[in-house]
Amino acid sequence: MAELKFLGYLAEVAGARTKNLVLDNPTPLRNILPSSFPREDVIILIDKKVGNFDSVIENDNLVIVMPVLSGG
Amino acid sequence: MKGYAGKLLRVNLSEGKVSKEDISDSMKIDFWGGRGFAVKLLWDEVKNVDPLSEYNKLIFSTGPLSGQALPSSGKMVVASKSPLTGGYGDGNIGTMASVHLRKAGYDILVVEGKSKKACYLFIEDGQVKIIDALELWGKNTFECQDLLEKRHGRNSGILLIGSAGENQIRISTVMSQRGRAGGRPGMGAVMGSKNLKAVVIKGTQNISNYDDARLKELGKKGYEEIKGKESYEFWMKQGTMQAFEWCNENSCLPTYNFREGVFEFSKEMDGYALEKLHVARKGCPMCNMQCGHVIKDSADQQAELDYENVGMLGPNIGLRSLPQVALLNRMADEWGLDTISLGSSIGFLMEASERGLISEKIGWGDFEAAQRLVVDIGRGEGLGKLVSRGTQKASEILGKGSQGWAMHVKGLEISAYNCHACPGMALSFGTSPIGASHKDAWIIAWEISTDRFSYSEEKVKKLIEFQRIRGGFFESATVCRLPWVEVSFGIHWYPEYLEAVTGNRMGWEDFYKIGDRIYNLIRAYWNREVPQFGRMWDYPPDRWFEDPLSQGKMKGAKLDRGKYDQMLSWYYDLRGWDKNGIPTQETLNHLGLNEVSKEIIG
Repeated sequence: MAELKFLGYLAEVAGARTKNLVLDNPTPLRNILPSSFPREDVIILIDKKVGNFDSVIENDNLVIVMPVLSGG
Repeated sequence: MKGYAGKLLRVNLSEGKVSKEDISDSMKIDFWGGRGFAVKLLWDEVKNVDPLSEYNKLIFSTGPLSGQALPSSGKMVVASKSPLTGGYGDGNIGTMASVHLRKAGYDILVVEGKSKKACYLFIEDGQVKIIDALELWGKNTFECQDLLEKRHGRNSGILLIGSAGENQIRISTVMSQRGRAGGRPGMGAVMGSKNLKAVVIKGTQNISNYDDARLKELGKKGYEEIKGKESYEFWMKQGTMQAFEWCNENSCLPTYNFREGVFEFSKEMDGYALEKLHVARKGCPMCNMQCGHVIKDSADQQAELDYENVGMLGPNIGLRSLPQVALLNRMADEWGLDTISLGSSIGFLMEASERGLISEKIGWGDFEAAQRLVVDIGRGEGLGKLVSRGTQKASEILGKGSQGWAMHVKGLEISAYNCHACPGMALSFGTSPIGASHKDAWIIAWEISTDRFSYSEEKVKKLIEFQRIRGGFFESATVCRLPWVEVSFGIHWYPEYLEAVTGNRMGWEDFYKIGDRIYNLIRAYWNREVPQFGRMWDYPPDRWFEDPLSQGKMKGAKLDRGKYDQMLSWYYDLRGWDKNGIPTQETLNHLGLNEVSKEIIG
């Protein structure tokens, strides 16, 4: 099972703060996310390493998708 | 030049003298406003003086965009030689005083000298009065704001200090509008040292801009763009508090005096917890994305929260209740204490207690003790006396290795971002021109999105770019950076705003050069005012190099001192500074600071 965590306003776009998915095959992240999902100013970490929308997600991956905050 | 009121108002409290001076075009072109005006005046007029003596000057400074009908423009810079750090100090504050100062016909107010007795200034267009403030002295900032509004009307801009400022506590700020604060490096203490309780401003004139019709159109489009941003609705729900979950997830939440980057009770006090307690929203003038979220504190009073004060008065002292944090924050606002330095000071004392360095028992998260400490610090009494001059001085007194976990740079306490695993942000704190402030360059998201653990020259270049935009442009045009940084409002609007205001078309290369001039003059000021100033002033505390994180996903992380040192060298090279961090003659001359060069280099 892959776990996806969405932070900030991206949780509202994704419709959940956390999603647990069972993937039949390794799948690019962009195919998992809604088509309306923002493509800019988004940070993606896969098992603590920097990823992108084309990164292939497998079961057991922890994916964190967060907005680019700017610290006030 | 259009877009400026054009006058500097100078009030000498020792002599009771008021004068009005023209601001030269060269001052406007070279230093622009806000922070730029402030450092130029301090360089020229405040040299080698005791910051709490009558010879220091307190500067309230606006820029060409301040108070205009533009997004989040109700800002002002409060600056002085800092009694906390001994160097250049400033902060910006969102206040109607910014709008009214410009409408009264002034871009800058300089207060100098010292009144023999408590007073306040009343400025109504061309009329300036120094009024007895005996009955206001000792009032908290909420009570004092109420009294002054009753006397002068709500349609006025009011800047004031609480008892902490009156007592010249060096972590005190200038306050406004029951919760707005500015001037972290002890600007409240400078105001108190002059026996100046408040400044009340009422202005009725309009600034003469180059193209008012264009400005109105641009302003309307700007407000509309902000409201249309995809992240806007969420911003309005959580504001800066969305950073709480974000920082905890990324191990940069200040926890237990910056010992850790994650807090085990984070879910009890993050932005989602705030949403459930939210009762109102507060903000600065001219803003349609107000960041102050009001909740009921544990004493059932309204108190305004944002990320910084929750981070520093929550996890940093081990407190896990938002209403309790809100009460501490309300007390800090009433006393006129900086919430960041306050949280750091309380955290420092809690750690000192844990280590047995002080006899008092103050456990992490001890709410009752924290309340007592706010009062003691505001009064400069008891344990509060130890930290009332900041954690740097406290650690020098306490000794026994406490210097390593007194969380400051240059004497100013670090704001709410733990950098065990963020070397770029550590350098940002290290090189911030007022001490450890996040406002000049917040680079954490960029470094996490690239290579968090790298110590690269590319990271240093990005840091300088942020400093030029945030610390240079926004602090000198003197508008709030949050529309750009928080909801991705288009930064391309700002040159257009400036053209409509001043008539001058400028690009980012021009803005960068002005920003560089300001940064170099600030650096020269530190060099002139602080004995033996140099490279060692640009390092964060030992804790981040020596005590690795013990919890969370970044467990084991700490900074590498040698690699940090390399980044600092790159930073100096890119800035045109020597190995000790002092601007070179060539750099200063290139920026038109030839006279400065002669003074610090010869």
